[in-house]
Amino acid sequence: MIIVWIWNAIFGIHHQFNSIFMKLLYILLFSLIFIACGSANSDGDQNSNETEAVELLTDIASEEIETIIAKHNADGKVVLVNIWATWCGPCVEEFPDIVELKHKYKDQLEVVFISADFPEDRERALQFMKDQKVTWETYMKTGKDEPFINAISSDWSGALPFTKIYSKEGQITSYWENKASFETFETAILEALNVNL
Amino acid sequence: MKKTISIIAFALVAFVTFAALVQDPANIKDELELGKKAPLTTVKMLDVSGKKMSLEDAKGPNGLLVVFSSNTCPWVLAWEDRYLTIAELAKEKGIGMIAINSNEASRGKEDSYAEMQKHAKEKGYTFPYVVDENHVLADEYGATKTPHIYLFDNNNTLVYRGAIDDSARDLSKIENRYLADAITAMVAGQKIKTTTSKALGCTIKRVE
Repeated sequence: MIIVWIWNAIFGIHHQFNSIFMKLLYILLFSLIFIACGSANSDGDQNSNETEAVELLTDIASEEIETIIAKHNADGKVVLVNIWATWCGPCVEEFPDIVELKHKYKDQLEVVFISADFPEDRERALQFMKDQKVTWETYMKTGKDEPFINAISSDWSGALPFTKIYSKEGQITSYWENKASFETFETAILEALNVNL
Repeated sequence: MKKTISIIAFALVAFVTFAALVQDPANIKDELELGKKAPLTTVKMLDVSGKKMSLEDAKGPNGLLVVFSSNTCPWVLAWEDRYLTIAELAKEKGIGMIAINSNEASRGKEDSYAEMQKHAKEKGYTFPYVVDENHVLADEYGATKTPHIYLFDNNNTLVYRGAIDDSARDLSKIENRYLADAITAMVAGQKIKTTTSKALGCTIKRVE
């Protein structure tokens, strides 16, 4: 609105002043608009909360899984990979326990959640993440089932939920199909943390 | 001293739990291997029709198709349209088809006999749907999820195991109709191109 007004005002006075002055005015005007737009964007980023700045649900292809897990395994952290889906009862039941353990073991533990939801349920998965107060990057399966299953583990039959834990050195310390209790998860995490002892 | 005992105790517990976690639970076998004979074929199970029947009863002249299934798993629901087309193909080829519900842990709720009857009727099942009490068959077959497919030839030998095809929900994305191809090849005496496949599904709800 303001821009339109300024634009009309400029055209209104255009014939009254010489062209050099007008050119300078145009340059100043565009610069101001550019700066204003620029600062509006960065203000937006700074004001948004941590959850929105993090990509909560990143699409992941089967070929990328190994790399992603290795990335999380770097810096001497235990990695817990959990394959889940919003429609999977046991997955949803054990989910909060894993989130709690992530908060408890903070810098020692990386939790790699991978949703196996159908693509059309992406919004549902995203909402679930927000409801569970997940604040770190998680992933969503793309592509066919079989390459995905084998990329996660050749010992996995495809039943959900599935959990796999890596030690800080990248050794697989445990994996299982089926729901697990908080205690089972914690013991497995501690086992992975202490593997070198 | 107290601290040492605690550490040793913890280490012991951790070791035992770790060992238990990476091994299969005692009574659930590994998935039945190709070439093996169908186990427990004479065990009578309650069908939704009210009759008691075994795999032997369901078997056709050219083979047997066993489908571990459930009433609510979204993966089952996604493939259920193909349950019916596969049933037609199986019938045409002289293969007996039977669906089995092994979800004992939800037998009091969504996988009850009454719910199974309702489900079979709603979906228009043209094949038996039986109760696998205490998941005895699922354990013996090493079935881990629903759906989980086992195809046997006329000698009760396992020739195909795994998924119906490679796209549960999106029919336009199907590239491999594993089960249909296996049935056709088996009956024609030809080699089955893909003998095992994997797909996602819901864990079978076993009791502790």
